[in-house]
Amino acid sequence: MTKAVWAALTFFCVALSAQAQRNGGQAAPSQEAKAPPEEGIPVTDQLVISKCGGCHTRDAKGNMLRISWERATPEGWEEAIKRMVRLNGLTLTPVQARAVVKYLATYHGLAPEEAKPIMYFAEHRIQDETNIPNDAVRGACANCHAFARPLSWRRSAEDWKLLTNLHVAFYATAEQAFRRGLGAGGGGNAPMVAARESGTPKLPVDEALAFLDKSAQLHTPEWAAWSARMHAPRLAGRWLVSAHIPGKGMYYGELTIEPGAAADEFKTNVKLQSVKDGSSLVRSGQGVVYAGYSWRGRSKGSGNASTVDDLNKEAREVMWFSPDESQAEGRWFWGQYQEFGIDVKLRRTSADPTLIGVDRMMLKTGSQGNRVRLIGQNFPAQIAASDLDFGSGVKVQRIVSHTPSEVVAEVEVAGDAVSGKRDIGLARSVLPSAIAVYDRIDYIQVSPESAISHLGSDVHPKGYQQFEAIAYQRGADGKPHTADDVELGPVDVTWSVEEFYAVFGDDDKEFVGTLNSAGLFTPALDGPNPQRKFSRNNYGDVWVVATAKNEKDAEGKPLVGKSYLVVSVPMYVQFDQPEVGQ
Amino acid sequence: MKHMQPLNRKAQRIDDYVAARAEDVVALQNPGNRQPPQRPHVPMGCSLMFSPGWEVDSAGGTAGLCQPVERDIYDCWVTCYWPAQVPDHMNNSPDWTAKCASATKDWRNLDLVFP
Repeated sequence: MTKAVWAALTFFCVALSAQAQRNGGQAAPSQEAKAPPEEGIPVTDQLVISKCGGCHTRDAKGNMLRISWERATPEGWEEAIKRMVRLNGLTLTPVQARAVVKYLATYHGLAPEEAKPIMYFAEHRIQDETNIPNDAVRGACANCHAFARPLSWRRSAEDWKLLTNLHVAFYATAEQAFRRGLGAGGGGNAPMVAARESGTPKLPVDEALAFLDKSAQLHTPEWAAWSARMHAPRLAGRWLVSAHIPGKGMYYGELTIEPGAAADEFKTNVKLQSVKDGSSLVRSGQGVVYAGYSWRGRSKGSGNASTVDDLNKEAREVMWFSPDESQAEGRWFWGQYQEFGIDVKLRRTSADPTLIGVDRMMLKTGSQGNRVRLIGQNFPAQIAASDLDFGSGVKVQRIVSHTPSEVVAEVEVAGDAVSGKRDIGLARSVLPSAIAVYDRIDYIQVSPESAISHLGSDVHPKGYQQFEAIAYQRGADGKPHTADDVELGPVDVTWSVEEFYAVFGDDDKEFVGTLNSAGLFTPALDGPNPQRKFSRNNYGDVWVVATAKNEKDAEGKPLVGKSYLVVSVPMYVQFDQPEVGQ
Repeated sequence: MKHMQPLNRKAQRIDDYVAARAEDVVALQNPGNRQPPQRPHVPMGCSLMFSPGWEVDSAGGTAGLCQPVERDIYDCWVTCYWPAQVPDHMNNSPDWTAKCASATKDWRNLDLVFP
């Protein structure tokens, strides 16, 4: 072909793409002119208008291009603003950035009901996502990132389409994921072929768009209700905290929230006590509340943090406050991969006797003299054995001691008591599913069931992993590993690492790292390892095995549980938005 | 009944491997009180997109990753292979490798990126 033909072709392509861009904007009339464009959410904040208005033009109704057809979590907006700074030449000071994120995450935010199902994403919990409708959508979106990332946004149908365009423009390989789904990148082309044969020529990206248009719409009843109901958060006061720390057990205590510099900013002080060893933890910090319910904060322990999993480490806090502002739950986390964390539940204090926790999670049938320590607040001055209720088959023998915040009772469990979770009642306070009655421990399970740990060094911090062994009873149906199994809480185990047979003779377990007696896995160094074949890295897949110290199976062998652990290379890109808590 | 004994270390490894596989079959046959065979699955957020993938391969393990990954990391960067896990050359991190001429030697000079 001659140069002239090439030049003509190039010009034609450029002209076409320019035409496509002109038609791409929200305000531009669609050539197909199908449904009328959705109503936008007008932007009223002067700072947003002045900072974003240069490119995001504003129409007569106050709608700004793109922004008015989007809603997102604080992390979602933070990420978008950082991208605007990185790639689109936006300049703004940290103070301005904070104000813009605050405005957008509040007035273009998610309703509490919309945010609740994806809080695990902001809380950096690693869990299996069950919210992905099918493999096509998984292939189009969750190949590269968690599906919670798109679900952190609500957009108009048009805007979802523009988002896919952005992916194709910025991430070349997104095109492949959009077209070939799970089969992208040579993983087999089965999904595409199957789709063609069944007579549905839809691409994975079309299926993803259809799903998001349906389940992540810009206008929802939840948002309409919340935008009317939203008010400045009134969180100041005292809160009862129950906290679970993997590997360290339960902690209980009190959190004080004080008003901060603005109506949506607060200062915190928390004092927690371990039920396992009585040690106490004092932390203080501050937080911002977005959209009236969504807490992002930072706190630090009063002591020196000596180890990686030390509870005094500075942690980021993400919490979801219920719309009535009576309770909250969330996670306070730290570590390079946010792998360490405290799962917290908050409840407002009241003048009534209130139970918040119990020091043990299981009671064996046919046992006597079990000491149970109940933790709470405002317990009455006189407590008789009959004031406590553990349900049928469990008899309170005597009250050993009691203070306004603690009751120690001795209980007897009948041999024929029904196994299962029990509520504990004291005066008018009931602690639901607080303690489990069981006849025998049927199996133990390692939590998390599958985990990832990242190799690291002085320059690339390591990603650790804490494991915990949880005992289960088979439940009412008599079969273990079914939905009705009763969780009995952590048990004492010895930890070991076993080879997972994937590659013949790779001896992964010799290289990946070490597991200590408390179930904390420390990965090895990153970088090539000359001692391995082909200088491969210290990565590998292993089983983490927990062998019970006391519990035995029907054949008299100790109970064993295991978890699949992938020890992999560092994540060189870490999409994370710590700024939202500052 | 077992008629053959492994003679050398390689044969012993084959034997161990077969035994490990056989355990899964036994577990499948007795679903009653035994723990069902656990199968590996990929934790959330891992890239499955390419085989080999970045953190895990398409089977959910590390067996198919480049050996070592540093040999391939610039190809991932230039061609934008794992945009969510490795910085990309095209748009977001054009200068990522500026301090590091050879990743297998100078991998410590590769920074983590927080976009």
